[in-house]
Amino acid sequence: MSTSTAAAVAAASTPAQPTGAHLGHTSLNIDSLRDLARKELVNVLDSVQGKKGLVLDPNLSGPLSLIAEFALLKDHGVEKIYHLQPGPLETDCRNLIYICRPQVNYMRYIAEHIHTHAQEARGGPYTYSLFFVPRRTALCEKVLEDEGVFGEITKGEYHLDLIPLEDDVLSLEWDSTFKELYLDQDTTSIYYAAKALMRLQGIYGLFPRILGKGDHSKALCDMMLRMRREMAVDDLDASQTLQLSQSIDSLIIIDRSVDMVTPLCTQLTYEGLIDEIFHIKNSFVEVDASLANAAAAPSGTTAGTTPTSGSGSTSVPGKKKKVPLNGGDKLFEELRDLNFAVVGGLLNKVAKRINADYEERHNAKTVPQIRQFITKMGGLAAEHQSLRLHTALAEEIMNYTMTDDFNRILEVQQNVVAGIATNKEPEYIEEMINKQAKLVPVLRLLCLYSMVNNGLKPKQYDFFRKEILETYGFEHIQTLENLRRLGMLTKQVTTKNTYSLVRTALSLIVDEVNEHAPNDISYVYSGYAPLSVRLVQCVVQQGKGKPGAAGGPGGKSTAGSSAGGGWKGFENVLRMLPGRTFDETQRVDDGQPRSSKKMNGQPKISLVFFLGGCTFTEISATRFLASQEGGMRDFVICTTQILNGNTLVDALVQKVPDLHASA
Amino acid sequence: MSPPTADWIQLHDRFYRKQEIYTMLWKQMDLSKFMTAAAPFGGPLALVRDDRKVLLLQKQQPLRPSIYLYTSSGKLMEPIQWDKGRIVGMGWTDTEHLLCVIEDGTVRMYNILGEYTQFSLGKEAKDNRIIEVQIWGTGLVALTGSFQLIAVTNFDEPRPLFLADPGINEPPHSWTVIPPKFTLSRHVEVLLAINSTIIVVDATEARDELLQQGPFTKMSVSPDGKFLALFTSEGKLWVVSTDFQKNLSEFATRSQVPPRQLVWCGTDSVVLYWDKIVLMVGPYGDWIKYTYDDAIFLIPEIDGVRVISSEKCEFLQKVPDVTENIFKIGSTAPAAMLYDALDHFEKKSPKADENIRSIRLELSEAVEACIEAAGHEISHQYQRSLLKAASFGKCFLEIHNADSFVEMCKVLRVLNAVRYYEIGIPLTYVQYQRLTPEALIDRLISRHQYLLAIRICEYLKMRTDRILIHWACSKIKKSNDDVNTICKMVVEKLANKPGLSYAEIAMTAHKAGQSTLATMLLDYEPRAGDQVPLLISMQEDERALVKAIESGDTDLVYHVLLHLKRKQLPPADFFRKINDKPLACHLFEAYSRQQDPESLRQFYYQDDRHVDSANLSLIESLQLKDTTERINKIKEALPLYQKMKDNVFETKAVEDSIRLLQAQVQLEKDYSQPFTGLSVSSTVYKLVTINQSNRAAKIRSDFKMPDKRFWWIKLRALVEIRDWEGVATLAKSKKSPIGYEPFVEECVKAKQFTEAGKYILKCDAHLRAGLFLKIQAFQEAGEQAFLQKDLDTLREIRDKCPNMALQGQIDAYITQLASS
Repeated sequence: MSTSTAAAVAAASTPAQPTGAHLGHTSLNIDSLRDLARKELVNVLDSVQGKKGLVLDPNLSGPLSLIAEFALLKDHGVEKIYHLQPGPLETDCRNLIYICRPQVNYMRYIAEHIHTHAQEARGGPYTYSLFFVPRRTALCEKVLEDEGVFGEITKGEYHLDLIPLEDDVLSLEWDSTFKELYLDQDTTSIYYAAKALMRLQGIYGLFPRILGKGDHSKALCDMMLRMRREMAVDDLDASQTLQLSQSIDSLIIIDRSVDMVTPLCTQLTYEGLIDEIFHIKNSFVEVDASLANAAAAPSGTTAGTTPTSGSGSTSVPGKKKKVPLNGGDKLFEELRDLNFAVVGGLLNKVAKRINADYEERHNAKTVPQIRQFITKMGGLAAEHQSLRLHTALAEEIMNYTMTDDFNRILEVQQNVVAGIATNKEPEYIEEMINKQAKLVPVLRLLCLYSMVNNGLKPKQYDFFRKEILETYGFEHIQTLENLRRLGMLTKQVTTKNTYSLVRTALSLIVDEVNEHAPNDISYVYSGYAPLSVRLVQCVVQQGKGKPGAAGGPGGKSTAGSSAGGGWKGFENVLRMLPGRTFDETQRVDDGQPRSSKKMNGQPKISLVFFLGGCTFTEISATRFLASQEGGMRDFVICTTQILNGNTLVDALVQKVPDLHASA
Repeated sequence: MSPPTADWIQLHDRFYRKQEIYTMLWKQMDLSKFMTAAAPFGGPLALVRDDRKVLLLQKQQPLRPSIYLYTSSGKLMEPIQWDKGRIVGMGWTDTEHLLCVIEDGTVRMYNILGEYTQFSLGKEAKDNRIIEVQIWGTGLVALTGSFQLIAVTNFDEPRPLFLADPGINEPPHSWTVIPPKFTLSRHVEVLLAINSTIIVVDATEARDELLQQGPFTKMSVSPDGKFLALFTSEGKLWVVSTDFQKNLSEFATRSQVPPRQLVWCGTDSVVLYWDKIVLMVGPYGDWIKYTYDDAIFLIPEIDGVRVISSEKCEFLQKVPDVTENIFKIGSTAPAAMLYDALDHFEKKSPKADENIRSIRLELSEAVEACIEAAGHEISHQYQRSLLKAASFGKCFLEIHNADSFVEMCKVLRVLNAVRYYEIGIPLTYVQYQRLTPEALIDRLISRHQYLLAIRICEYLKMRTDRILIHWACSKIKKSNDDVNTICKMVVEKLANKPGLSYAEIAMTAHKAGQSTLATMLLDYEPRAGDQVPLLISMQEDERALVKAIESGDTDLVYHVLLHLKRKQLPPADFFRKINDKPLACHLFEAYSRQQDPESLRQFYYQDDRHVDSANLSLIESLQLKDTTERINKIKEALPLYQKMKDNVFETKAVEDSIRLLQAQVQLEKDYSQPFTGLSVSSTVYKLVTINQSNRAAKIRSDFKMPDKRFWWIKLRALVEIRDWEGVATLAKSKKSPIGYEPFVEECVKAKQFTEAGKYILKCDAHLRAGLFLKIQAFQEAGEQAFLQKDLDTLREIRDKCPNMALQGQIDAYITQLASS
């Protein structure tokens, strides 16, 4: 449990192309956030002299790879990288730097490392530095004290919070937020989110307006307002110089608990499906090496990873490989938000164009023409490579979407969210259980069914619970309890169905979807509009054809109105949804004119914060809203993490330690 | 008024000047008897009797020596009673704390008022003693008796760190350190003079520079860390770059005795001090000699050297370029002309006009030069006359930005105020710029010069919070008034400062034993989070918890919770404190689940949360390998579930899980295969795959498994072991509750088309065509589709069909159907 991981981790965090090249192309200069994080990382590494081993929180190696490439770590003396996990750490490095989230279990692992090193006879003394992301906590220090290693470790902080994934997507990449926040009711992530947003306000100015829905959203908003008040205490000057933001005119906070239905549906955009099938982690997707290599073959430069330290990890067939998926890939940028139905055709078109471009070489007769072609070639090769990758991915996805299982699940889902009630849906779920299908997809469907119908009928409820326990094991008593607590799988107590009211009021179901030229966000689920993004739409598309009004989904309106009316006109719908609704205005005391009037031409930006995580489809849908605004409004999406139905449900499933494995 | 050049001395092409700043207030000080350490930026001096000399010179040795702290003007600030062992070294930190390193490795950090904290350099230091120490603004390096080097680079959280083993077995001739901020690696480097060479040591390695010029008996690093001045045993002064790559100058002193002090004067000349002789050597081998009657002490500054003698405090520096341009005899620089013009103007001489005319074009820069030069002057008169000249020049300029003039006037007022001998901080303009006004204020605060500090802050429009807080704290410490008076006094003074932090003041009151006052003051603290630590130390645990929750900072809540746990209250008391605070409960649960399940169980118990408690037992049972133990653990959960009547389902489930485990134990005995850990369905499945259908049926009936599920499981299991006969028997046993389509599908998945074919005719009529198509039985598919009049499927069959003859037949069907 040591050296092999080193290679794996190193490979995991080494994209060959410079990270973050795709950032910084908007007025917000998102890449500056990344640069700050990068500089701080360098300081962290330099704090220990000489050669060192880096021990990383496995959940951070992904996010860190978005901040710095392996070469940078190497330049600053990192010889080996290890994952922080239980068991002794065998290493030749005498200086160890740990970078991890402030979690209790990690502290115990570190203590274990130190204790085993102390018993070791060979080798000189070790030095230990520990950097908490984003801050040190009393809790962790207490554990270190209890373990008797507090004095051995030099402690510091690495203030990594919002990590730019794209110019319009920032994420805390805190994967456990959803479970912590809603199941454990541990509000730590709200505090960190508030800190991160305060930092953004420090850079871009105060958000003039904060709107939101949901109790935790409200808590986040209150905490931000409170922090602003307290900031005056710490540094009056800074708080006075804080102006209203010139570019960002509103922050819209959506609490995941307001809309649990959306993530349970199967995402039908290209990026969403890649996530459903392969799971995108920290904007990397892990696919069969053969698939990735096919894509990389012609140009020779691997788009994926370069093995570095430890035993060589040359690509062996059947091995997994990480491929970056971000806006740096122009083709992907074009495809990611589209409904998968149109992706095939588009890939075909691109293939034809690239082919035609290659054919141009025959027309290049004169020397200048040839030179022109040559300069174009580099771009073509890159495009070609990207085309191969996406064709291969699309093919894989196609194989999956063609299966009976996929289509039947999809049909059930769509019937359920549309409220078309038959017996077929529960019957199908039962059949899945009988076939001993995987637990997570079963629960995903069952929870969807339960939430849309305001719970299961008592008999049905007991039946499904028995089926699940007997098929998947009695430990899931806890899983069922977790789902019940979150209101995801409950017993029906009243037949009054709020979901169907909301569905009608906000036109969540759109029957005629044109995937090729969508006119509504519902295209991301081929006919179901994510509730969360509908709420955002309510705020920004005020007074120009309410999304829910009889005129059908919004979007045909004139652009340019601001978030003036807030939630006005939607009070009734909002009342039906769980949690509080709020609309706060932040002012600067010196009576300056409101900034929103001053900007002309520049699009206004709404920051949308998904507390508890969001899906790729919600990101796509939000981007679609921007496209409807005709350049008058942009969105920047912030989230605690990116999730999908599988990761969401999986976090709530009770895990069983594998006792037989060690036997 | 003596001419400004009176104290100038030329050293090659530049001038140096030595100006008297103070006449010392102390009386009959013999510096030779003391070990001395002085803080840069005009900071204070610490003197302690040098025991090596005291023994020789002093007739009666005081039992307890003292450390005396003096200002630069020789005013005694604080005597510190010394009660520890022998001091091997003293030095000052950037925050003006005095460090005393004691032989046994203890390091004490005193503030200017003599209050201290201390830390130790570790066991090695204690065992082998410290023999010498080098201190810089943010760290220290100590040399132990076993010739190991121990470094501390952060005084806020001192952690002694061993540097690489220099590999020596005798003390170095001399040594010094290059502070981290000047090295390439940003970590401290130590230079040790061994034999004729120098060894450079850092945390990772000891590197021999392979020099021949040694032994070096004295060395000193320049204030910018770039150069190193070395004194060889042959009496040669040698200056090299700190990377030993560039030779800068050499100078033979003809003294083989190493100087008592070797310091840098700025960055371009070196000052050596032997008994009563001061020798300044410039980069080109020129030198200046000063003589003194008594012992002196040299304090290097970034722009010169402070010379402390028994009578005077002087400042030796290179004359700044602007100053030289103005005052140098015969200078015709524009600024000199301007300065001269003012002189003429005051004498009402027409030459004033002439001068101005001659520098018309350069007048603006002449004005700026005079302003700058004023900054470099210590004497008020010259400050004034230079500013006057600048002001005079300004009159002739149509457009001139007066900001720099105003700014300099402000700075000079501040500088003159702190240079006043009662304060005794002889800060130069250059030093002030480097130190920053904030740091200067901090120094005044630590000297309790509140009034001056506040005046300066108000004058410079800076925040006065820190001063007020500090003032309030010291007021509380000293005051004997009653609580209300003090509180009123403090609050009155601090009123109208909305953001001011009261927590620190309250904490001071608490530490001074004034708990009531602390509580009163704390109410004024605007930040919930900041109140927490104090409330904890005041034993106001519950209020602390409330405030921590209010702040939203979960770690603060943990902080209080852990504090409460540490107190080892009876569980009931502890739970009562957190019970009505949901966040505290949730966090306690999250923490205990990982660290302390037992107290979580107690918590659930007293809160009547039986379901959670039961689930806790269930989860724990999963960790147990031994089945009996496991069953026992699960049994613990049963009564808990039974406490609530809603939990009929869970009770039943738990009972079932025990029955299952018991059955599995029996199965393991009978078939020597692992069963525990499998679910009911998986157990049945596994039994079928090992051909124990009867046992499977038994389990099924024991757990009342629905028919549908049982059929599915059995079907899939039989297909897995390819028991086609078994599948057939199952299909025939009775009417299938799951229909026959699954039979077909499962066989198709196993690629057994013939087997699959057997069941198609049992399926619903409208499905048959599609199923036949799946097993590539095109003819049958066609027939079935025709019977069902299913045109779409017929067309699909036709497209997929490879047999031409068959295609014709299907076409016939299609035409037949289409026409009807």
